[in-house]
Amino acid sequence: MPELPELNPVIHGKLRLALLSLLSTVEEAEFTWLRTRTGSTDGNLGAQLAKLEEAGYVTLEKRFVQRKPQTLYRMTETGRAALAEYVRALKTLLGEAMESGA
Amino acid sequence: MDKSTEMHELRERLELIESMIQEGRRKTESWGWTFLLWGAAYFVAIFWASWGNGSLSMWGHNAVAWPVTMIVAAALTTLIGIRMDSGHPHTTLGRAAISLWIAVGVSMILIFPALATSGRLDVHLFVALVGTMLGTANGASALMLKWKIQFGCAVVWWAISVAACFVSDAQLTVLFLLALFLCQIVFGVYAMTREARRRKLGAAHA
Repeated sequence: MPELPELNPVIHGKLRLALLSLLSTVEEAEFTWLRTRTGSTDGNLGAQLAKLEEAGYVTLEKRFVQRKPQTLYRMTETGRAALAEYVRALKTLLGEAMESGA
Repeated sequence: MDKSTEMHELRERLELIESMIQEGRRKTESWGWTFLLWGAAYFVAIFWASWGNGSLSMWGHNAVAWPVTMIVAAALTTLIGIRMDSGHPHTTLGRAAISLWIAVGVSMILIFPALATSGRLDVHLFVALVGTMLGTANGASALMLKWKIQFGCAVVWWAISVAACFVSDAQLTVLFLLALFLCQIVFGVYAMTREARRRKLGAAHA
């Protein structure tokens, strides 16, 4: 029997998974847009994004638009590959669980 | 954790990915107002140019009507565009559509003043060029966004550009105003209503 894949713990967190899924659909996203889409608080969102950045899954860029500061987040190729791998592992686990009748 | 709880959690994660991807793809760009603004700008330019003429004609006698209206419309588009776009993420498709319209806008800003100052611009050439450029932009944008109604606008503009070569000045003015009304004003209002409906759907929560 093949060994079951393990789920990446960095991505498995609910908010981090939501963030990576959102970022996979756009070129870049502003902090406030991510906050609105996820319904998260500033503190929690900042902390989770920092974890994703630490893992090399997202990059950030700070800039000023109309004299207002903006923080933009982009998903890296590593992040994209990690999310794809996570989805593959998740599907394998779900398929396995269904086969074993859980 | 028992197996059913674990499976429930895994399913929840998969649903979360799907809902967030759907959320991210939801169009938040709002560009319907630009159609309305430019439609209104063309109407203002034509009526201003014809003011005091007694009849409606594309150029009229007021030489400043077109340049002033077009410059004001371009400035308003830039200012409102920057303000509304701030904080909204772009998809590759959205960026492609915006780039296309910017390129068409720049082409118009360059070619029409050049033709006008060289004395080579007449009503027929003006409408034929406007029709071709707006037909191309609407057509390409409609194909990218898979938007049939916008493709209908492209067909109207292409038809106007061909008609411009064969009809009289008076007929052309009426046709141009009709195309502006349909493809800029009516389409603009429709696009804005559609965008407002999408915004009302609200945010998902992780």
